[in-house]
Amino acid sequence: MEQTPQQTIIPPVRPKNWLVESILVTIFCCLPFGIAGIVFAAQVNSKYDTGDYDGALKSSADAGKWTKIGLFVGLAFLVLYLIFIFLLGGAAFWTSASMLRNN
Amino acid sequence: MLMIRTKKQLWIVSTVAIAGSLLYFYFDPSFNRFFPPCPFNWLTGLYCPGCGSQRAFHDTLHGHLSSAAGHNILFVIFLPLLFFAAVVALHNLFSKKKWGQRLFYSASFARIILTVTLLFWILRNIPAAPFNLLAP
Repeated sequence: MEQTPQQTIIPPVRPKNWLVESILVTIFCCLPFGIAGIVFAAQVNSKYDTGDYDGALKSSADAGKWTKIGLFVGLAFLVLYLIFIFLLGGAAFWTSASMLRNN
Repeated sequence: MLMIRTKKQLWIVSTVAIAGSLLYFYFDPSFNRFFPPCPFNWLTGLYCPGCGSQRAFHDTLHGHLSSAAGHNILFVIFLPLLFFAAVVALHNLFSKKKWGQRLFYSASFARIILTVTLLFWILRNIPAAPFNLLAP
């Protein structure tokens, strides 16, 4: 009897596509970087489906990169904004305090 | 898709989610100055797809979904998806059987998300009759 070897190519594990994370960054960080994340997330899915595993892995890295850039730029903006607001609030407080003293 | 791999990540994600929800429940971004404005809107004067999401989040936590949709309808549309993603991530942390692989890894689903987001971004910036409903 002829032995036919069972040729099954085991595809590598799907790379993380960052879809939900990039949606969150798009909605909450308000930056176009999140959209870049969604673009690469879509590429991860389509490239993996066509068998381009290396391409999917590269898109996954790009999706992660842009999502993280969006998150950190958003956080940096938040911190700078809060510093600005508290400085302004502090200034307003001291101004009103000195006005009270003068009256 | 959202992946929580360790208990430590679970703690971080749930702490951020709970603290954020409490903050946005008790404080209305419409009347409190410590909520940041959208950096994109601040720089360009245009609306981004996320503009209005802080107000929408506040309204959602109070059960006012239609008012939330008035600030950002995309946020309301994505809410069930984000909720499902959170449930899936929680399930997948504790179970060997992984949920949500087919939906979040489908190429057409990701493309739909992208198209809807881009369309919303463009349309809400048109300052004319039906489209200005999409502005925050």
